[in-house]
Amino acid sequence: FRFKDSLAEDLRGADLVISHAGAGSCLEALEEGKPLIVVINEKLMNNHQLELAKRLHRDGHVLYCNCSTLVETLQSMDLSTLKPFPPGQPEKFALFLDKVVGFQ
Amino acid sequence: TGGHTTEILRLLSCLSESYSPRHYIFADSDKMSEAKIRSFEQKRSETFSNSQFTLDRIPRSREVRQSWTSSVVTTLYSILYSLPLTYKLKPDLILCNGPGTCVPVCLSALLLGLLGMKRAIIVYVESICRVETLSLSGKILYYFSDYFIVQWPDLKEKYPKSVYLGRIV
Repeated sequence: FRFKDSLAEDLRGADLVISHAGAGSCLEALEEGKPLIVVINEKLMNNHQLELAKRLHRDGHVLYCNCSTLVETLQSMDLSTLKPFPPGQPEKFALFLDKVVGFQ
Repeated sequence: TGGHTTEILRLLSCLSESYSPRHYIFADSDKMSEAKIRSFEQKRSETFSNSQFTLDRIPRSREVRQSWTSSVVTTLYSILYSLPLTYKLKPDLILCNGPGTCVPVCLSALLLGLLGMKRAIIVYVESICRVETLSLSGKILYYFSDYFIVQWPDLKEKYPKSVYLGRIV
C-alpha cells in the first residue's frame, strides 16, 4: 500500500477521510465530496502547508485537529456542518489567457 | 514536481488547440511528471488531432530548504542550462506555477527578450496551496512576469499587481 499510483479508488469507497495537511491529499478528498478531517503535526510541517488547511477549515470545508485531539474529534464530530467544496474553474483561466495572447 | 504538475495540467485542460506546440520543462530529479504529462497529452490527442508536445529536463535549481548560498550556485547552473534550451524553443508564451525549475527558464526568456532575440509573455499562476504567502518563485517572478495570477483573495490584497480569477485548478 505504501506507494500506490493513485488513491482515487480508495477515496471513492470511503465515507470519511483523515489526512495530513498536504494540499494534494486535502484537495483530492474534497473533490470526491468526502468529509475530511485534517490532522496537523505542527512540529513536522512548515508554515506554508498549514495555510491551505486553515483556510479550508475557516471556510467550513474540513474539520481540523492535531494527533492528540484526533480521538476526541472523531467522537464529537458533526460532519453535516461541512460545506461542499466547489471545483476550480480552469475555463476562467483559458478565457483570461486567450485575451492576453490575443486569441479572441 | 508532483503537485505543481497536477496543477499545471489542470490549467491546460481548457486551453484551445491554438496553444500548440507545447513544450514541457521539468526537473531532472522529477520521476513522476513525465508519466502525468504523457497521460494528459494522450487524452488530449483523442479530442484534438494535431497535438504536438515535447519534454525537456533541466537540473533542479533548488531542493526544498536548501541553503541560500548553495541555492545561488545551483540556480546559476540551471540558468546556464536553460538558456540554450529557451533559445532553441523560442517560446511565445511561458506558463509556470512555482517549482524552482521555472525561475531559470523565465530569467533566460527575459534575457533573450532584452537581447532582442525573442520576447515571450510570462504568465505565472501561484499554487492553490498559497493562501496568504507567496512561494519563493512567486516572490521573484511577481516582479518579472507579465501576468501574475493568484487563487485566493488575501494574496490579491497583498500583491495588488496580481490577477485574481478565483480558484482555477
